[in-house]
Parts: sequence; C-alpha cells; structure tokens
Amino acid sequence: MSGLGARGRITIPLAAIGIFAVAYALASAYVTDQYYQLMLTLVLIWAVMGSSWNLLSGYAGLISFGHAAFFGLGAYTVTLLLTQFDVSPWFGIPAGALVGAVAAMVIGYPTFRLRGHYFALAMLAYPLALLYVFEWLGYQEIALPMKRVDPARYMQFSDNHVYTMLALSLLVAALLISLAVERSRFGMSLLAIKQNEPAAEAAGIDTLRWKMRALVLSGAVAALAGGLYAVVLLVITPQTVFGMLTSAQALVVTLVGGVGTMWGPVIGAAILVPLSETLQARLGNVVPGIQGVVYGVAIILVILLAPEGVFWRIRDRLAARKRPGAREPAPAPMRPIGEVAVSAHAAADRAPILEVSDLSRSFGGLQAVEGVSFAVRRGAILGIIGPNGAGKTTLFNLLNGFLPPDRGRVVCEGRDLIGLKPNQICRLGVGRTFQVVRSFSRMSVLQNVVVGALAAARSDSEAVEMARVALARVGLTDRASATAGTLSNQGLRLMELARAVAARPKLLLLDETLAGLGRQEVEEMIATIRSLAADGTTIVIIEHTMHAMVRLAEELLVLDHGRRLTVGSPAEVTRDPVVIEAYLGRKWVTAGVAG
Amino acid sequence: MQTQAMVEDFFQALTAGILDGSIYGLMCVGLGLIFGVMRVINFAQGEFLMLGMYFTLYIATGLALTALLGPYAGPFAGVALAGLALYAGGYLLHRYLVSRVTGTRAVGAEGEGHYAQLILTLGVALILQNGGLIVFGSTPQSLRTPLSASAWEIGLPFGDSAAVLVNKARAVAFLVSIATTAGLFWFIHRSHLGKALRAAADNPEAAIYMGIDVDRAHRIAFGIGTGVTAVAGGLVATYYPFQPYVGLEFVIIMYAGVVLGGMGSILGAFWGGMTIGLVQQLSALVLPFQLQNVAIFAVFLLVVLVRPQGLYGRSVDRT
Amino acid sequence: MLQVEALSVAYGGLRALNDVSLTVAEGEFVAIVGPNGAGKTTLFKTISGTVAPLKGRIRFGGRDLLAVPPAERARLGIAHVPEGRQVFKSMTVMENLELGAYRPDARAAWRRNRERIFGLFPVLADRQDQLAGTLSGGEQQMLAIGRGLASSPKLLLLDEPSLGLAPTVADLIFESIEQIHRQDKLTTLLVEQRVVEALQSCDSGYVLETGRVVLQGPHDKLLADDRVRKAYLGM
Repeated sequence: MSGLGARGRITIPLAAIGIFAVAYALASAYVTDQYYQLMLTLVLIWAVMGSSWNLLSGYAGLISFGHAAFFGLGAYTVTLLLTQFDVSPWFGIPAGALVGAVAAMVIGYPTFRLRGHYFALAMLAYPLALLYVFEWLGYQEIALPMKRVDPARYMQFSDNHVYTMLALSLLVAALLISLAVERSRFGMSLLAIKQNEPAAEAAGIDTLRWKMRALVLSGAVAALAGGLYAVVLLVITPQTVFGMLTSAQALVVTLVGGVGTMWGPVIGAAILVPLSETLQARLGNVVPGIQGVVYGVAIILVILLAPEGVFWRIRDRLAARKRPGAREPAPAPMRPIGEVAVSAHAAADRAPILEVSDLSRSFGGLQAVEGVSFAVRRGAILGIIGPNGAGKTTLFNLLNGFLPPDRGRVVCEGRDLIGLKPNQICRLGVGRTFQVVRSFSRMSVLQNVVVGALAAARSDSEAVEMARVALARVGLTDRASATAGTLSNQGLRLMELARAVAARPKLLLLDETLAGLGRQEVEEMIATIRSLAADGTTIVIIEHTMHAMVRLAEELLVLDHGRRLTVGSPAEVTRDPVVIEAYLGRKWVTAGVAG
Repeated sequence: MQTQAMVEDFFQALTAGILDGSIYGLMCVGLGLIFGVMRVINFAQGEFLMLGMYFTLYIATGLALTALLGPYAGPFAGVALAGLALYAGGYLLHRYLVSRVTGTRAVGAEGEGHYAQLILTLGVALILQNGGLIVFGSTPQSLRTPLSASAWEIGLPFGDSAAVLVNKARAVAFLVSIATTAGLFWFIHRSHLGKALRAAADNPEAAIYMGIDVDRAHRIAFGIGTGVTAVAGGLVATYYPFQPYVGLEFVIIMYAGVVLGGMGSILGAFWGGMTIGLVQQLSALVLPFQLQNVAIFAVFLLVVLVRPQGLYGRSVDRT
Repeated sequence: MLQVEALSVAYGGLRALNDVSLTVAEGEFVAIVGPNGAGKTTLFKTISGTVAPLKGRIRFGGRDLLAVPPAERARLGIAHVPEGRQVFKSMTVMENLELGAYRPDARAAWRRNRERIFGLFPVLADRQDQLAGTLSGGEQQMLAIGRGLASSPKLLLLDEPSLGLAPTVADLIFESIEQIHRQDKLTTLLVEQRVVEALQSCDSGYVLETGRVVLQGPHDKLLADDRVRKAYLGM
C-alpha cells in the first residue's frame, strides 16, 4: 500500500483508475447479451461493496461480518422511498448512504467497545436482527414498480449499459475515496491501529475517533452499493440484502483480491462474481447452493495459502525478484558523538519535567506498584531497573495512560496526567516505545515513522518532514526509503525510536530498547540515545541489560516488588547493599558467605 | 377469566422456556467446550447443529432404526449415532484445518490467528450450509415420532381447568439433554481424559510439561464440542422443522448462551442456554414471534457490553 | 544424567543462548544464576522441548533428548516446574497434583507421592478442593513443585521459584527445595535470579549472562566471587 510519504506521485494511481474505467466502459459496450451485461454490472457493485468492507476491515483490521446491515438499509431506503413516496432513486441512493452512515454511528458506539471475536459476533448480529425486523414489518418481497412515464427520472433504462455506467461511476467514486484514505493520515492512522492499537494510541492517534470515521464511511459506501443493487435487480427480499451471503460476499471479494489495498475488491470481484454467477446459472438447478460453496472454498484456500489476498502475493513475488533476497546489511554507524559529560549540564536550570508522587496500582490483590515517588529533571537520562516482576512496565503503563492508578499523581510540566487517554498524553509531549516492534513491513521506513508525527503535525506534508528529521536524529536517513521488512533488529529498534521521536516529545519513555542486541549494537544505541538527550529530550528508560544501563543513565531508580528501593548514580546504586540484596538475595557480601 | 388466560400463558411460556432452554443449554455446552474453554471461535457451530438434525433423520430412517427399535427409540438411537459421526467430523476438521489457525502455530500470524479462525470457520460454515442445500434440498424436514404430536396436560393449582400442555417429544428431549449434560459434566470433571482436556485448554504449555499430548487433546475437545451440539440438533429435530440454513438461526443463540453463562464453565454454558430459552419464550408473551430473536441479540449485546464475564460459572479470567 | 553441549538457541528473533554447555550428575544439585534476559528460561524450554535449538546437543541418561518429542520428555522422568508457576488455574489443587502423575510409574506411586507432597506442603492438603487460581503466589509455587514431584521424576527442573514472591515466602520455598533434594538425592537443576539462596543450597553453579556461561564452579567459590555481582549489576 502506498500511504503518506509514499514513493510515487498520486498521478499514477489516478491514471490507473482512469484507464481501468475507460477500458471497462469500452469492453462493456461490446457486450450485447443481457445476462452478461448484468454480470458486468454486478461485478462492479460487489467491488464497491468490497471496497466498503475494505475501508473498515482491510485498512483498520476490524473484521466485520455484518456489512449486509448497511447494504440492506441502502436497498430498502431506495425501495421504500420509491414505493411509498414516489421518490426517485437518483435521490434515494444518496439518501440511503446517509441512512447507512447514521446506522454506522449508532452501531459504532456500543460495538467499538468490544474486541476481536466479540466485535465480529456483534457485527454479525445486526444484519440478522434487521432481517427479522423487516420480515416482521411485512416487507417480505418488494418489487420496484415500473415507471412508464419518464423512466429515466426514476433511474429505469431499457439499455442495460446505462446501469453498467452507473455502477462504474460508483466504483470510481469508491476507488477515489479509498485512494484519498490511503494517501492521507486517515489511512495511516487506520493502518497504525491495525498494526498495533496501543502503540497507535501512544503515538497520539485518537483511535476511537478514527475507527468511527472508518465505520461511517464504510457504512455509507455499502449503502450506496445496496441502493444501486435494488435499482438493478428490481426485486429485494430481506434474505437477499440482509443475509449472511451478502456479508460473506463483501468479505470474500476483498479477502481474495487483496486486503488493505484499493484494487483488492476489484480483483476479487472480477474473479469471484463471474465464477459464482456462472456456476449458479449453469448448475443452480441441480446444485442450488453452489455459490455459497464456491465462496466458502475460496475463503478457506485464501486464508490458508495467501491470507492477504492475490494482490499482495503477486506484489511480494515481484518485489522479491528485484532484491537478491538477503537482508540488507545493518545501518551505517551513527554520526560520531563526543563524550557528552553529564556534569556539563548546569544543575540550576534542570527543573523537574516529571513528578510522580505516591503512584500505586494493584491487580486483584497483587500490589504491582506501590507508593512510588520520584522526579525527573529536564534533559536527564533516568534508568528504571529492578529484578524481574518489580513493576517497571506497569509503572510505564501508569505514566502513559494505559492504566489508571489506584492512587497517586503524575504531573508533567505542571499538568496532571492522570485520567488522560494515551493519545492525549502523547500530544502533551510524552513519547513512548514498545518492546515488541510491529512495523508496516511492506512500507518504507519513512512511512513507518510518519505515524509518529501525525499527532504533532498540522499538515500531512509537515508530518513527512518531521519524520525525516526524526530519521536523521537516529541515523537512519540513508535507509529512509528501504522497505521496513528488510531491516535488522537494530534497524527496527532505531525505527521505533524514530517513530517515538518524530512528534518531538519533551519526555521520552523507552521500554527495553537494548534487549537482545549484540555488544557493538548496544554501543551504537547508547550513542544515539545520548545524542537525543543532548538535544534536550528527557529520557526515562527501562532496561535489563545492566552493563549498558550503568554507562547510559545518569541516575538509576531501583524498583523491587513494586516499591522504590532507592535512587542514585550508577556507582552508588550498584554498591548499595539494599539493591544488591534485591538482585542477588540476602546476605550477599563481596567478601564471601560463611557456610 | 382474562387473568387466568394470562397466567396460563405465562406458565405455558415458562414451561416451553425450560424445555427449549434445556436443549439450548446442551447446544451451548458443546460450544462452551470450544469457545468457552479452548477460546477457539467456531463460526460453523450452527452448521454442526444442522448436520446433527439431518444425520439423525437419515440414520434413523435410512438405517431403518425406526423399524428395528421402534418409533420411540429409533430416533434417539439416530441422535446418538449422529453425535458420534459429528464428533468424528469435528475431530477431522480440527486436525486438518482449524489447528492451522489456532494454538502455537498461530502466534505471530496476522492478528494472532483470531482473525484467521473467524474467517476460516466462516468458510467452513458457508460450505456446510450450501453443501447441505445441495445434498439435502431446501424443503423443510422433520423427524416425526409418535411423541411429536401428543402432549401431557398438567393441571395448574388454581382456576378451573387451568392447565399447561407439555409436548411429549419436547419433554423427552428435555430429559435426554439433562442426561447428556450430566454425563458430559461427569466425563470432563471426573475422568482422566476429561482432566487432561481441561488442562490442555487451561494452560497448553504446562500441559506439555505434564506429558499430555496437547494437540490431540484439543482435537478431541473440539470433536466433543461439535458432537454434543449435533446431539442437541438431533433432539431439536424431533419437534422442530429444519432446513439447511437453520444453523444461522441458532448460532447467535449459542454464542449468547455461552457468553451469558460465563466462559470456561460447562455448567455455566448450560444455564446460559437455559436463560436464553426462557428469554425467548417469555418475550413471546409481549413481542411478536419474529422479534424473539431480536430480543436475544439485544440480550447478547447487553451481556457482552455490561458483564462480559457472564452471569454464572466461575470464570478464572483469561482475556 | 543431563548433559548440555554447545547449545545455541534463537528465540523471538534474538540469540537467546550462545554455545552453552553444562553437566548435571546424578543426585547433584546444580544452580544456574544470572540477570534477567540471560537466557535461563530459554534453556529450560529447550530441555523440555517447547523451543527448538539452532545448534548443540542435549543428552539425558545417555539418550539424545532432542530426538524425543516434547510431550514424551515428561515420561522420561523430567519434571519441569515452569517460570511463573503455570498451575492449571481453573482446576482444583488435587486435580493439579493428579495431572502431575500422568505417567504410569507415577500413577503406581501416587499414594506414596501424595503423602510426601502433603507432608512437605501441609497447606496444599488443607486447600485440596480449592481452585488453583485462587491460591496465593507462594501456595501456587508449592503446588507447582508438588505437581512436579507427583511425576516421580528423575530430574527436577525448577525455573525461578522465587519469582514474584515475598522474601519470607521465597525462603520457605527454598527450604523445601533443599529438603526435597536432601531426602531423596533427587537430581535438581535450579534456575534463579536470587543468587544467595540458589548458591547456598547447590553443589555447583553456572552464571549466565546475555546467553553465555561467564562463570562456573563449586558453590562456595562462586559465593565469594565479585564477578557474580558484576554480572547482575553491570559494574
């Protein structure tokens, strides 16, 4: 997928859409058989439906089994407006889109509180419920009435080509919407949410709001598809528009074609719709459920063999052929850092940037963090250490807004952080890295870092600029356009660091940035982190790799069993008997133990 | 007179709720093993219910069990055999398909495998539904026994001739459900294999350290889950007409029941199903019948939003 | 009894163990200490089979252990008491212990083992029918150890038994471990962050740091060596 800061200009995909539209229009002009004309139209309608599913489930990763709800609402809006109020579909279809959007809002608020399985199950329930409701309302089967006078006003044409053109314009609109999403921070945010929702929150992305927007847009587009479907087929029943096959079709078409790319639904529809419709027509009498079976088999094959769809499979193959296959070498060594003597900082101008008092949190009786208080001076590098299970990550989660504390205060530059959501805390200038780096492996390093800049940038281009600056700060400039999937471990860590730094945070929380790196790599990381601190960023870092920490940190805060043991310079702390006892056990004396 | 009619209706609905609820309970027990205990989402569970209905029909009539064992025992023998057949079906499904998207193989895959589970089992559901349509045809079927059309009349202790009708087929199905649930409960909690299954679901890594073949345990548990739901299907078949899409009607009922009952508890799943049955029948007193299922969806949503750990059962939580 | 030769393991994309070798003789009590992230748990997982090595060999009682599938290694007599206890939370204390006695040898010796476990950890007898998930950390640790003992093991692997426990409780656990070793001369391999307790009870020890053995020797020598402290604290 090409997103913000993508290589290549927007004219290429625009041209592709144009060429596709013209080619399709021309091709369909030659088709005269009514049945095939209908099929051409249906391919387009299902591609639109797939696009709508893609907006929510492809880009954002929220698998929905219930898009039939919006499709059906669009279809019924058009139909009922026509049959009850004699309103033309020219107006009815956009009205349906509005209904779809509103329904999406109503559904979204409760359902987004659910995760994973429950979200999918709940989404499944909505179209089923609507099915029952509409059956109960008595709308078993409605046929759109034929208009003899001025049929064009009611979107009724004797020439089926017109329907194909209408569907084509709808698809072009859907593709343009998808393109706009992909190329803007909208798509970037959705991708970030799909990749790692907590990290996205911590990067300042208001995940709930973006998810809502995606759902509303998705619902509107699906309703458009449903509306046109009603006009084309002229007969609708609750089962056909709200049924599971409809939701499944939206899903399969995108799944097979390619998830998270605007061409996916088109490819999938082009493959599956003719296949299933033909089978249905030829064998439908003998084998009545053939369509469903085909979709079912397609789903299983795709999910096992090419889980992201045909589009990505092909692209990955092509990309692999260009590269010789081996991972590119580790990034060039960082710009040389002079010894940044800690004592060079004047003590007077180092007011505390973060003050934590009496922070506590328990989990069902287990006190994970208890009464922790400390202050971090501006521009300092504070290391948080402690034996396993000491509560370090819980502490970070409390500082960052992922966990509410039981009691205590966290004040950053005079602002109380307790109660704020992680994305709000990020906007106040607190950045964070995560232990498990989940990157957009198909996108460039630069694109990956742009996610971090979105919260602070006023425009998309500013975000790209900030990302470039961040890459320069960590020394990854020469890898900016490399695909993230080719980075080494160290490169990934640097990229994660750049992502956190892109929004120019005042305070940076680093979570085990050095874990698992080799000696040389650790050296380079230390140098990078020191240079960030020299630029004025305050750094708080959790680490287990002690031999690195004692050289990197100016001060160490030692936690054990959730409590603060002590704070001091590395030299003090590593000789402090209380700390030694915490790590090594009681009665450890360097002179030896009797017995 | 009117009050008496209303009270009678209420008790009738209550009775129907308990009878139907017990079968829902059994269905939910099957799903409970899979979703509640193993945390595997099986979209095709409704289809196993449907297959249970059809297998029972064909085994009972096709194998001339009705002729052999008589019209009373025949269908129930069919139910039992259908259960076994679908145990095997579920076992194989897990072995060859589901295991690829669950457990250790799935970690690190996109969305940690949950997404793949959903979609894979959706594919299986589509194949079974529509394959069923092809093989069985769309005409609604039912498995009639002499019990299906007769009922006991139980007098109520007030008014004159106030009574509740209890359909005999449903009553027998009720007893069989209870017995099967009890049997399964005994198996899971008392037998050696049952404990191994629970351990493998509770903590697969630790189970390996005990020497338990976790893969095999998961397969067996999955198979039992589908088999039990199929048995419930067979029981439903003795009093309710069915066609290949019937699974979809029940799938939300089953998930609602399991979630309501509290994940991780077999008995909880049973009570969850029972509650759903009662909600359905009692809501029929006030709602038009097409909207009963809407009431169930509403209950499901409420539970998932307000109290995701369920109402019954001890869930030692694993999110 | 247990021989690890030149073992290298990659775990989660990182090199967790690098050319690690160690030996545990029959009846011996060996301790492996080292700071967090040193690879100690990975070592155990490789022995138990939940992680496969890149290079190296493991021999148990003369057999090539890597050729044995994970679920069968327990039947050879290796009892792994995992990090974080990993009891079966939804099952009772008694059920947990019964599951420990999965292999045939153990089932035959069940009654005797049960008496012994309850003798060591009376609180388990009191809480037999309680759900394991409701026990305190220390009690769960006792249960995990008891579960290991229920398998009549030839080799007991203990992974950080003091993790997350209050010091007094950890002391109790260590005492029990010592007692177990003393009573039956049970071959024991202990991984610990808490150095003193581990080194005091053991016969010999290994110090792991970032995946390598940096120090080894008899326990009294290690206790007197400041390099152990440096391995943990960096300077």
